[in-house]
Amino acid sequence: MHTSERKKCFKLIPYDSLISILWTGCLRAMLFALTWFLLTDGVMDSWLIGGPVVLLATIASIVLLPPFSWSFIGIMRIVPVFLWRSLYAGIDVARRALHPRLPISPGLYQYRWRLPPGVPQIFMANMVSLLPGTLSAELADEYLCVHVLDQTGDFISELSIIEDYVARLFALNLIADRS
Amino acid sequence: MLLSEFFTVILLLAGAFFFLAGTVGLLRFPDVYTRLHALTKADNVGLGLMVLGLALQAESWAMTGKLILIWLCVLLSSASVAHLIANAARKKGIEPWKQ
Repeated sequence: MHTSERKKCFKLIPYDSLISILWTGCLRAMLFALTWFLLTDGVMDSWLIGGPVVLLATIASIVLLPPFSWSFIGIMRIVPVFLWRSLYAGIDVARRALHPRLPISPGLYQYRWRLPPGVPQIFMANMVSLLPGTLSAELADEYLCVHVLDQTGDFISELSIIEDYVARLFALNLIADRS
Repeated sequence: MLLSEFFTVILLLAGAFFFLAGTVGLLRFPDVYTRLHALTKADNVGLGLMVLGLALQAESWAMTGKLILIWLCVLLSSASVAHLIANAARKKGIEPWKQ
């Protein structure tokens, strides 16, 4: 009984443990070390400064942005979608800007979140601005105010699909569909 | 001409085209929100294509990584800044342009 209770607790707050902080710290330290390696072209002497910098950056990042759940498969899924959709966004906006008649019909739309507040919402708000025809204009806990370049397009289902991808990236289950 | 150099030239030209289109959008679009659309999306693609073209000429993996790092930093900053400007415009009560 005790173990099952403990398991339940562990499931409720899976990332609020020392192990997850250490694990996240190791991953982030590797990421910072890779960045330093890229910036310095891998010059050995630079690690005299790079080592402490990576350590301090890791500590600062853990303090400023505590560990959150994410999924590697989620990353692999969202990257190609993002690359394709942002390329399409560039082509779309270039076409509209260069078109003699300037075919736009802009407006604002309040998109109700299914994602929880915090990192997932901020991530998606940033991503929305790089997707075709949408620009995040205001970030609230319950909704994201989106400026739409062409109201006649089907931007709502696009936002919904992207939200699903972001949810998988952060290993989250979205609450039931919006009514 | 080497094949990789050929592709580099094509990608750089395509990137420059998107920067041009973004600037045309900045000049032609009617209000602050629509102009942000043009800048963020077109410049993101323009820089992405340029980074891809230059990565073909990179002499080391570190150089390729550095180019991608530059692209990611610009992505993050342009998306965040676009949001901040749009948000500030909304707080100031600037209504979006309507047809």
